[in-house]
Amino acid sequence: MPTGQESGPPPARGHVCRGYRQPQEFVVRACEFLAEGLAAGERVLYAAPGAPEVLAAQLRAAGPIDEGLRSGAVQIASLDSTYTTGIVVDPAAQVRLYAAATEEALAAGYTGLRVAADATRLVRTPAQLDAFTRYEYLVDRYMATHPMSAMCGYDRGELGDDAVAQLACMHPRADEGSTPFHLHGHPRDDSAAALDGELDMVAHRLWPLALERADLRPAEGPVAIDARGLRFIDHRSLLAVADYAEDHDTTVVLRTSLSTPARVLELLNVTNVRVERV
Amino acid sequence: MNTAQRGYDHAAIRYASDAELLAVVVPFLNAGLTAGEPTIVSLEPDRAELVRAALPASAGTHFLATGDLYARPAAAIKSYRDLMTGLVADGASGIRIVGEVPGAAIDTSWDWWARYEAAVNHAYDEFPLRSMCAYDSRTTPPHVLEDVARTHPFLATPGGGHHPNADYVDPLTFLTGPRPMTPSPIQRTAPLLELTDPHPSAARRAVLDADKTGLPAAEIENLVLAVSEIVTNALRHGRPPVHLRIWADTEHMVVTVHDAGPGPDDPFAGLLPADRHVGGRGLWITHQICTHVALHRDDTGFTVRLTAGLPSLGVRSPYE
Repeated sequence: MPTGQESGPPPARGHVCRGYRQPQEFVVRACEFLAEGLAAGERVLYAAPGAPEVLAAQLRAAGPIDEGLRSGAVQIASLDSTYTTGIVVDPAAQVRLYAAATEEALAAGYTGLRVAADATRLVRTPAQLDAFTRYEYLVDRYMATHPMSAMCGYDRGELGDDAVAQLACMHPRADEGSTPFHLHGHPRDDSAAALDGELDMVAHRLWPLALERADLRPAEGPVAIDARGLRFIDHRSLLAVADYAEDHDTTVVLRTSLSTPARVLELLNVTNVRVERV
Repeated sequence: MNTAQRGYDHAAIRYASDAELLAVVVPFLNAGLTAGEPTIVSLEPDRAELVRAALPASAGTHFLATGDLYARPAAAIKSYRDLMTGLVADGASGIRIVGEVPGAAIDTSWDWWARYEAAVNHAYDEFPLRSMCAYDSRTTPPHVLEDVARTHPFLATPGGGHHPNADYVDPLTFLTGPRPMTPSPIQRTAPLLELTDPHPSAARRAVLDADKTGLPAAEIENLVLAVSEIVTNALRHGRPPVHLRIWADTEHMVVTVHDAGPGPDDPFAGLLPADRHVGGRGLWITHQICTHVALHRDDTGFTVRLTAGLPSLGVRSPYE
């Protein structure tokens, strides 16, 4: 698969998407992820559907967490109390909630906040999915500059591969094969966003959606995308960037090492997308 | 003759001596200069100098290098169209061009230049253009001269002769008719790689894996893009199965993409940009970035052959 396993830049902490077939797959990986956080002095939060006792039992299977539960290093949230089930998430409000939780963890002496959340039931309707993909990008930007990290679990069987791809592409990392590209908030420079992977016919529907959902508009000037991790882009995907630029009355700058995008844009007389070779 | 009212007047010159070439070209250019029309010459260096020396010293004729202009047919069409759009915007009511397809291009890639000669009857028709395409009847292969006869509505002869050409066929007929695709010599060997119904990413990887050329990275990147675009077209618009085959040696790389469908409806596909939703842009882009693109239809379906690097000579060069 184009993205390769665990593709993307090595973010300091991480925001990874895990699509699973069996719930236990996610539980195992979430426990590993949270154990790393505990070892690094972080406060960890496990959020999933089910009663708190059940969730605690799941974590306990992975290691001794009772001390952490008593001290507050380990927090468990039945999904219903972390998010309000059935309603469409407000992306900015949700990020504020995690920002506050991160600040709280720091104030309590932890090195940061690490979250493992099975968010399947929050993306069941198209409206929920749309809002949550926007949230995933927004919270990724927060994580790029704050000591928060997250593993997001989604049930492939229940949601379908297409919905999981829409979510996975807004993370800097995801399971191999779940998305052909990543549009995320961990640029290596002052760009508004970062783009990794490959953009071809597999992404022809997904890519314009992702661009729109990332809502890249900066305060002023062109929208720069750090595309150092972009390994291929076809002409249709470039035209999708031009459409985005036109719809938002802006110019997009792709920072890439590839030589073909500039040539194709020139051939197609596209002037609202520029390439900076890096 | 009032050029502005005629649309595109596309004539061939078949000359057998320098004197004969000059006897056609010089009066034609001088008449344009007298009428205040922009005059443009794009001939290979020896003949360009010949024409330059035969024109008045003060002549404002523009001489353009053939190497840049005639690198690829689709690029030539774009360059000439951009040039003429600018001239008309600046007030030109007539434009005169004398050009020639370089000998090396005739030898290595005549098939797409034949398509060019047919397509420009359509592609330049909106301009007040009179042009003459020069072919040396002593050195141009007979099959090329046959195509020249079928793609030029007029023949220009010494002393201002300008005759309707009875052999001319309209571009749609020419472009949709059966045309042979001469195999590149390397295609007589077994392909290095063959894939059936490859995903575009697998096709791209296959090109990189098979690359044993010493070509610059940018040229291989262009081929990778072209292959990806053509495989995408085959999967989206063609009919399965899609077969990808790759040949390479140290100097060039040849990739064929075959599907079982009839190919694009648009006879100008590849030479002129098409609407973005019908797959024509991808084909047009490949025509702009590959060394050579050949299209072929037969009973089994539609084949696009893409080449990076110098294609081997399909016929012996008369210039050798």
